[in-house]
Amino acid sequence: MKLTNRSQFDQLVTTATDAFSQLSDGTKWVISVGMSECSFAKGAKDTFQALNLGITMGKVDATLRQVGCGGWCWAEPFITVSGPAHPPIIYANVNADDVPELMQSIQHGQPHGSALGVIADQPFGDIPSIFDDPFFGKQRRILLRECGFIDPYSIEEYIANGGYSAWTKALFDMSPEEVIEEVKTANVRGRGGAGFPAGIKWESGRRTQAWPKYVACNSHEGEPNVYKDRRLIESNPHLVLEGIMLGCYGVGAERGYNYVGGEHILAVERFKHAVAQAYEYGLLGENVLGTGLTFDVRTRVGGGAYICGEGSAMMYSIMGERGQPRTKPPRSVEEGLWRRPTVLNNTETLASVPSIIRNGGEWFAGIGNEKSTGTKLITMQGPLARLGLVEIEMGASLREVIFDMYGGMAEGKVLKGVQTGGVSAGPLVESQLDVGLDFDSMKPLNGMLGSGGFVIFDESVDAVEFARYLMAFNRYESCSKCTPCRLGNPALVEIVDRILNGNGRMSDLDLIERTANHVIGLSLCGLGQVAPVPLQGMIEHFRADFESKMVNETSAPPREPMLVHAADD
Amino acid sequence: MAQDVDTAVNAADTDRVRALLRDNFQPQDHEEAQELILGALQDVQHLLGWVPLWATRLVAEHLGVSENRIYGLLTFYADFRTSQPGHHFMLLCHGTACFVGGSQNLINELRDHYGIADSETTSDGELTVQVVNGCLGVCDLAPVIQFDHQNYYGKLDVEKFNEAIAEVIRQGPVENHHEAH
Repeated sequence: MKLTNRSQFDQLVTTATDAFSQLSDGTKWVISVGMSECSFAKGAKDTFQALNLGITMGKVDATLRQVGCGGWCWAEPFITVSGPAHPPIIYANVNADDVPELMQSIQHGQPHGSALGVIADQPFGDIPSIFDDPFFGKQRRILLRECGFIDPYSIEEYIANGGYSAWTKALFDMSPEEVIEEVKTANVRGRGGAGFPAGIKWESGRRTQAWPKYVACNSHEGEPNVYKDRRLIESNPHLVLEGIMLGCYGVGAERGYNYVGGEHILAVERFKHAVAQAYEYGLLGENVLGTGLTFDVRTRVGGGAYICGEGSAMMYSIMGERGQPRTKPPRSVEEGLWRRPTVLNNTETLASVPSIIRNGGEWFAGIGNEKSTGTKLITMQGPLARLGLVEIEMGASLREVIFDMYGGMAEGKVLKGVQTGGVSAGPLVESQLDVGLDFDSMKPLNGMLGSGGFVIFDESVDAVEFARYLMAFNRYESCSKCTPCRLGNPALVEIVDRILNGNGRMSDLDLIERTANHVIGLSLCGLGQVAPVPLQGMIEHFRADFESKMVNETSAPPREPMLVHAADD
Repeated sequence: MAQDVDTAVNAADTDRVRALLRDNFQPQDHEEAQELILGALQDVQHLLGWVPLWATRLVAEHLGVSENRIYGLLTFYADFRTSQPGHHFMLLCHGTACFVGGSQNLINELRDHYGIADSETTSDGELTVQVVNGCLGVCDLAPVIQFDHQNYYGKLDVEKFNEAIAEVIRQGPVENHHEAH
């Protein structure tokens, strides 16, 4: 059903809103099951089938639907039950075996004992409001607002929740310059880690006098312990798509790209599905909503190379080449995909744009702190009480996030440190946890917000082993184009191995420092420029772990490392 | 790449790959054809479990690019397998959360008791392992492994790891790698 003007879209909004509100108006039972890759890993498909079987057999008269991931990984598989007798209740860890008992309680109109909380401001009986739980209550959910509540396969449910209203507002009420102006006012900075203001990038993309132009969304996400973008796409693909479309309109591009890691199969599938739906409704394609404008979005997949998160490498990968970065200038806004101007943003950055257009740049700039506006998706892992994905207001303290939202350390575990910035920055220790989570505050501590991935580690983790792991990761992922990175990183791994094997000497720490500075200073791209930083950070904070492994004899001077090829182990 | 030369090319598989390319990869121009190479290789691998030489030829022919170029991509990108995997394919997550949880012990166990390292297959042809230098995205199950693109086993120590492998091998081979999704 192709829409050809704005009033047809408004009509769709009305019908979609009516249909969606019926799901929660209490007239009938509705059971929603969280279905995304993380819940599949915990058996959500079995839970869904068991519920489906029960409903088919007439045990309960209920509508069964699927929703995306809400971020509460520790509670999966989760289901939400709404109906006549009580406000919507989230149940945690519902396995297929729990379904019969749960169905029975629904039959009796009673909440089941294993409830996590009610989605309401007030408790219901002895079931607390989820907002009283700091995991939910302390979040500021803008990007994740619909995640875990709407069906990712339904464009109508997205539209019912305000979806594509930013798109129509931009198309009919705003000039492309005004769109860019709002993004600049919002001061939304690049969520991929670099923190460059998106509005300024868009402006230079718009000013470039060459056509065609492109907008590219970087959903590659090859970093360990970071899965925010794929969960967002799995749970609300249209939000990311609308962000890309708004980017195209602002920049003056007729085509947008989304580059998704090939290993994120479900994210790829759901994003492609969303794009197809947008074409069906005429939100994409030729003469969009009668405006005479054409917009296309292409989904492209990668092949599991971490380096393809780097801008120029990503573009080579889209063009079917090996993902190896190139020297800049020219920057990609001048010469990107197919040597044409390309504006590249991270998934999370683009997903922030629809709410900026709907609510205004001022509104967005009022969230977070002065230099880092808006919210940030955070994934935190390790021996914590709870694990998952949260959305925080920029500037929230790391301590608060760890100890309130994630419930602190798991029983019997003692915090030794927090690895920040994925594999691209150093760790922080207990005394530094009051730092704010934003783009700038962690830099003086050699930490990094990066893409929001944090790993807590306890005393069972040896800092030298951990440093070796982080170093080896970067060595493995080096694209081998430039020499300092290709040879310097294996050399650093070799020195750390020597220390681990009991042949290290104190002078090795100086050798590490020299080699590290060589790699950092001379590498071509961001990977090499930060590859040794985690190792340096580990030495800075846990020098004793390194020193305790050194041999004392000083007779034979240490050998310079043999340069080994990265593929050797 | 060379070891598959002797693999008998199955006519049915050839037809499936041809159909896949015909149905899902129809570029408008040569630029788009090049954009589709990686996606086509991924889909071929989902279908067959690996990318045999004969399939790269079909992809090259279909998209109008050289086999050489495809070889360059297959050897650069870590996702691709150019030798036939065993009956079961294990992704062993070695992301940071899994490392902190002890995934190195699992890698050591594979080396010591199964005689395999990353990208290798056990001598009985039962199990191929790929160590994920990245993240499976289910860190709350760390250390975690995934079998045949669908079965996850999490919160592993060496003992549970061995049990999981035994259980999966007992269940017998999985036929269609694509069915999982």
